[in-house]
Amino acid sequence: MQGLLRGLVYGGLIITVLMTATAWGMWLERKLAARMQSRIGPNVVGKFGLLQPVADLMKLLQKEEIYPIGADRLLFDLAPFLVTTFAIATAAVVPFTAEAVGADLDVGILWVLALGGLMVIPVWMAGWASNNKFALIGGMRAVAQSVSYGVPLVLTSLVAVVFTGTMSLSGIVKFQIEHGWLALWPPGPGVVAFVLFYMALLAESNRIPFDIPEAESELVAGITTEYTGMKFGLLYVGEYVHTMVGSAIAAVIFLGGWDGPFHVASGLHWMVIKTVALFASVYWVRWSLLRFRSDQLMRLCWLYLVPVSLGLVIFAALWRHFVLR
Amino acid sequence: MGYLLDSIRALGVTAKNIGRKPVTVQFPKVIRERQERYRTSFALLKDEQGEERCVGCLACERICPSQIIHMASTKKESPVTGKKRGYLDDFTLDMTACIFCELCVQVCPFDAIVMLKVPHEPGYAREDLVLTMAKLYENGEKPLTWGNGTKLMEMQEPPKPAPAPAPAAEPAKTEAP
Amino acid sequence: MNARHPGPTSDRYRLEQMDADADLMVLNFGPQHPSTHGVFRIKLILDGEVVVRAIPYAGYLHRGVEKLLEKLTFAQGVPIVDKNDYVAPMTNEQALVMAFEKLLKVEVPRRARWMRTIFAELQRIASHMLWLGTFALDMGGALGGGSGVFIYTFRERDYILDLFEMVTGGRFHYNTHTIGGNRHDIPPGWDREVIKVLDLIESRLPEYEAMSSNNAIFVARTKGVGVIDKELALGLGLTGPILRASGVDFDLRRDAPYHAYDELKVNVATATAGDCQARAQVRVAELRESIRLVRAGLAGLPEGGINGGKPIKMPQQFKTMSGQAYVGIDTPRGELGTFVVAGGGDKGTAPYRCKIRAPSLHALSALPWILPGHTVSDVVVILGSLDPIMGEVDR
Repeated sequence: MQGLLRGLVYGGLIITVLMTATAWGMWLERKLAARMQSRIGPNVVGKFGLLQPVADLMKLLQKEEIYPIGADRLLFDLAPFLVTTFAIATAAVVPFTAEAVGADLDVGILWVLALGGLMVIPVWMAGWASNNKFALIGGMRAVAQSVSYGVPLVLTSLVAVVFTGTMSLSGIVKFQIEHGWLALWPPGPGVVAFVLFYMALLAESNRIPFDIPEAESELVAGITTEYTGMKFGLLYVGEYVHTMVGSAIAAVIFLGGWDGPFHVASGLHWMVIKTVALFASVYWVRWSLLRFRSDQLMRLCWLYLVPVSLGLVIFAALWRHFVLR
Repeated sequence: MGYLLDSIRALGVTAKNIGRKPVTVQFPKVIRERQERYRTSFALLKDEQGEERCVGCLACERICPSQIIHMASTKKESPVTGKKRGYLDDFTLDMTACIFCELCVQVCPFDAIVMLKVPHEPGYAREDLVLTMAKLYENGEKPLTWGNGTKLMEMQEPPKPAPAPAPAAEPAKTEAP
Repeated sequence: MNARHPGPTSDRYRLEQMDADADLMVLNFGPQHPSTHGVFRIKLILDGEVVVRAIPYAGYLHRGVEKLLEKLTFAQGVPIVDKNDYVAPMTNEQALVMAFEKLLKVEVPRRARWMRTIFAELQRIASHMLWLGTFALDMGGALGGGSGVFIYTFRERDYILDLFEMVTGGRFHYNTHTIGGNRHDIPPGWDREVIKVLDLIESRLPEYEAMSSNNAIFVARTKGVGVIDKELALGLGLTGPILRASGVDFDLRRDAPYHAYDELKVNVATATAGDCQARAQVRVAELRESIRLVRAGLAGLPEGGINGGKPIKMPQQFKTMSGQAYVGIDTPRGELGTFVVAGGGDKGTAPYRCKIRAPSLHALSALPWILPGHTVSDVVVILGSLDPIMGEVDR
């Protein structure tokens, strides 16, 4: 009973915090992108446009919901909710500090990867149910991309698992507090693994240069073409939450989680700083690069990322065996 | 590897641009400084004695490529000079179809029709976009653009013989402010 | 036409002869689509994501400009062509005005010719800037790096529009050319402003290139995509950067000089690959060459009058009952030709017929040949590399 209560409270808390953070993450992105492009960005609603996410939410809630002719209504309705649900559910195992963790699973990484892999199902549902050819192509691309990039994502996570000898996320952080951050130590392979993980993360959360599923210059809006109102908003928010949670997980696995540099002032704030920095960097990349073509994306994945991450796993195993013992 | 290096260079470009001042001009709050010759809406002018310059000669009505100028005039005795001349009864200029070619300004022999530096104010009905005679004379008080019929014609004078190369460019210099 | 480009009507693309199990899908690309550069529709027949056959449909922006030119007199016709190629209005006016001048046998003074050269080259810079931005937009998306390049190039293009505004008073509807010369003389101090803007653009060009045409992702997206070889380019009557990227060293500015190009030496940029990357390279090289030409033009600008004919006073001012004239000039998109036959209107005050040869229309005619075999992602890249302007295509 107590466990259930704790779950409800913590769950409510995490959803609230995450959604709020995402909303203002969007504001941050828009401001950042605007400055990169010599624009001002939102500045009308509230001071510095800070209430812009609220205004956007209001707008989306007021909009009419449109069902395309021939759409599969059940799947069409279900997809946005599943996207958001899966994205938020991933956050359950993220250890923000040693104590602030929803469920400190022994197989935390597995939970994260599994839910990340599940994301592809609602995306495909959205693509299929829309009864729109652009959405269909977007859905097909999303499936191919998620499945392919899941492999380097898993393998680079495996590097961390082999190094630390644990699949629990807080266990990984504790190991890093003891031995140093995985992105910095051992020098070289760690940072390569981090970069690969980061790239796979970009691909999993459909961000440029890997955002071909919704490539709006080709596919209008990909899977979200036919969505209107709050369902579009949920798909949109789902992606942002996915990116946010992914940033948090990258911070946990490779950047030492709540551990400060040289163990200075460790705590929740470091976790927040790292997550926000990674989140912002995703958008920095997004607003700077062009996008790949889908076959180039696959080639990049299978010819470069997968072999390199396989090599890293082997290296990690050898390091673990001979150096760490 | 090339992807990575070039991506970092592209990231550098966007980072560099964060430092640059935004070029956005937030329109209703800030009005952009326009050039001397910028031309948008129209005005009809009155001369020094407060008399209407337009005599209803139909030059602008005939030249207009969109055929949006319509006028009617009668001949009366001028209260100022005492001579007989034309006076406008009605003059309309339909801004919905104007292509801002400035030909009506150029052909006007009395410098009566000129263009404005400030844009036409938006309205809620199509009728708001039609400039009536009253509106046109009202517009005469607003900041006018540099050109009028005489100046435009002077500028296009056929090339003078060799010793005087300057005159063609000169009027712009002296009368620009 | 040849083995590489069997042509849209050849057996290779006959749908009846395709494998019945191929499971083809028809995708209507446009007219309302973010990357069709206006309202343009391509019916794509897809096998998976690969284009099997492409059928372009133009005409959604038809405004009857050629018919209007028959109705309006010579004096009135000039301002209405501004809207044909809405990215380069200056060169539109020039093409029409030059044909009228040839027909009416009006001499253009030297200063006006040099000014026209400067305007044309500034317009080329502005147009190619816009092309670079939109091309990156096609590749990077409105919510991505492409929009960065897009806004940077627009930022700089706007300075060029400011320059035009200083001279003509218009940012788009210039109407600065008239039969026999120009209507507006250059205001004092204008050349200094031009040099300032050119310096700015020149210093920032490497930035755009780092984000677009020199970027490895850009190269990966464009190299070997949409190859138009020499034969096809000549066969379809392609002109401008597209032709020069296919290895044909032809530029009207150098080979049939008009304006002041006989006095200014033009270096023509060419490439041989004929793919999207080559077209991009040619355009970026032309950008640099245009900057040089504007500088040279400003340095050598002669004094004198700007209008050789009579300034427009009344619509029926120019009359001719006989003759016909064709003038083609090199606009940013290729050869923009105007063919005009005298004798229309009231006693020859208007053209009897005025035909505008739009380079973009010819460029689009290459689509059925080069699209098959590419994926949907490449379609937007190829379309962008052709730099079509729908206002000019449909007129």
